[in-house]
Amino acid sequence: MNIVVVKMAIPVGQGLFPIGDDLSSIILNILWVVFFFSMILLFNQRLQIWTYQRNVEKATVKLQMLADKSREEALKSVQKYAQENTDVRSQVTAFLDFFTIEPVDRDPFGVLNRLEHLLDNRRDRFKAFVAQIAPKAGKAEAANTEDILEAAMALNFIFKVVRHFLILGKKTKSLMIFVQLDMQLPLIMKMAEAYFNAQKTFSAGKPIGDGLGPLVASKLMYGLPKRVIAEDIVCSETNISNRKAYVLKAEGPGGLLGKPGEAVKRLVEEMGGKVARIFMVDASSKLEGENTGEVVEGVGAAIGDPGPEKYKIEEVATKYKIPLDAIVCKMDLEEALTTMKKEIVEASDVIIEKIKKAIAERTKEGDVVIIAGIGNTIGIGQ
Amino acid sequence: MQRERQPKFAMISILLTVGAFILFVLATIVDSLSDYSNVLMVAGLALLAASWGIYFIGGRSLQRAEVATENVITVIGCKGCDIREERPFSEGDYVFKEIGPCKKCSGTSYIRAIYAISIKKD
Ligand SMILES: [Zn+2]
Repeated sequence: MNIVVVKMAIPVGQGLFPIGDDLSSIILNILWVVFFFSMILLFNQRLQIWTYQRNVEKATVKLQMLADKSREEALKSVQKYAQENTDVRSQVTAFLDFFTIEPVDRDPFGVLNRLEHLLDNRRDRFKAFVAQIAPKAGKAEAANTEDILEAAMALNFIFKVVRHFLILGKKTKSLMIFVQLDMQLPLIMKMAEAYFNAQKTFSAGKPIGDGLGPLVASKLMYGLPKRVIAEDIVCSETNISNRKAYVLKAEGPGGLLGKPGEAVKRLVEEMGGKVARIFMVDASSKLEGENTGEVVEGVGAAIGDPGPEKYKIEEVATKYKIPLDAIVCKMDLEEALTTMKKEIVEASDVIIEKIKKAIAERTKEGDVVIIAGIGNTIGIGQ
Repeated sequence: MQRERQPKFAMISILLTVGAFILFVLATIVDSLSDYSNVLMVAGLALLAASWGIYFIGGRSLQRAEVATENVITVIGCKGCDIREERPFSEGDYVFKEIGPCKKCSGTSYIRAIYAISIKKD
């Protein structure tokens, strides 16, 4: 017996798969076969689940870290303007779960009006929350604080969704949940990092890539008298090669988007539709392989809002048959949300030249044109 | 980010596995080696273990080593003359902020541009 045990552990002189009638070697052979088949047939999926799960767990830990850090950042920036002895932490933490329910689109009639109403609601609640929790903040600081909270909310949401699927996958032991999650992780992580870096830019009040439109507009309107024409939108009148140009942008330097659609609509209605062209300048997401700062022209309402503002511009342009020219600058999501790159600043001068050229070529002297700089105007005054 | 393993590690891992496989095959086929089959088996298993270890640990070392450090520059110009000055961004700066009289002439100087130069190389 003793000898057999020793032989099983160390099959002396048998090779790895010994061929012999020795009992121990037969048992050893069987054990090998069972081991391989169990690895291949039975534990194969377990091993796969385990590998994918490990990836997702690592990503979730990182997402949690990003979400926590961004919450701390939000707290820090709120604390600066908060009254003493207020419990900022619990209020901000609770507010990060604030949600908006999209309007029903099974009956699409007036869905954009309903959406606009809800978005107005949401913005009002944000403003009210910031005014209540950070009463010492000025207009620009309050707007930046709203953006900082938005970034923290986005990260909080991403973390929660990924964690949800991780726990769900663990509970159901479903390979498919892990595989799907794991395949999307590179994009999810990229987005999360973009929001995280964006928040840092917002708290410093630096201009972001999305501010390209407002930058172009402010270069055209700097030093001219301004009037507020719609919510958070300012407008100036200027002269470009003997054409009257109305330039509009969100009011800086706080992180505001305003309602450019409403502004364009009001301007056009004010002039009874006598507008020769509308130029819209915006940042546009680039495809991988395209260069940041590339300027391209096209037609249509270049604006990335959820719908209502875009709809207003298209509607008023259609009503009075005004051509809509779009000039966009390419950048990726991260570049749009973080500090404006040099290439994008240089693109703004290229765009101004293009606008001037287009006005000279496509309109007559004495015409009226509208130039709308679309985007977040954080860090850009006028 | 998460799943990119450095190709170097993957190659070493694969080579070790191949080495282990060759050892196993030799131990089985070549008669003259049969006296050392135990040693070969242990060596082969050690190679396999090392291969797995490298595969899993190697994947961990590539978690975004490059933190995006950025260099933000504020460009200052003047309404009266063509002076151009650059300095690092400081909080409170914004484009078209007026910042007092010009050093060179009697005009007002203002911030002409703010931009980031990324140090991160692609
Ligand atoms: Zn000067």
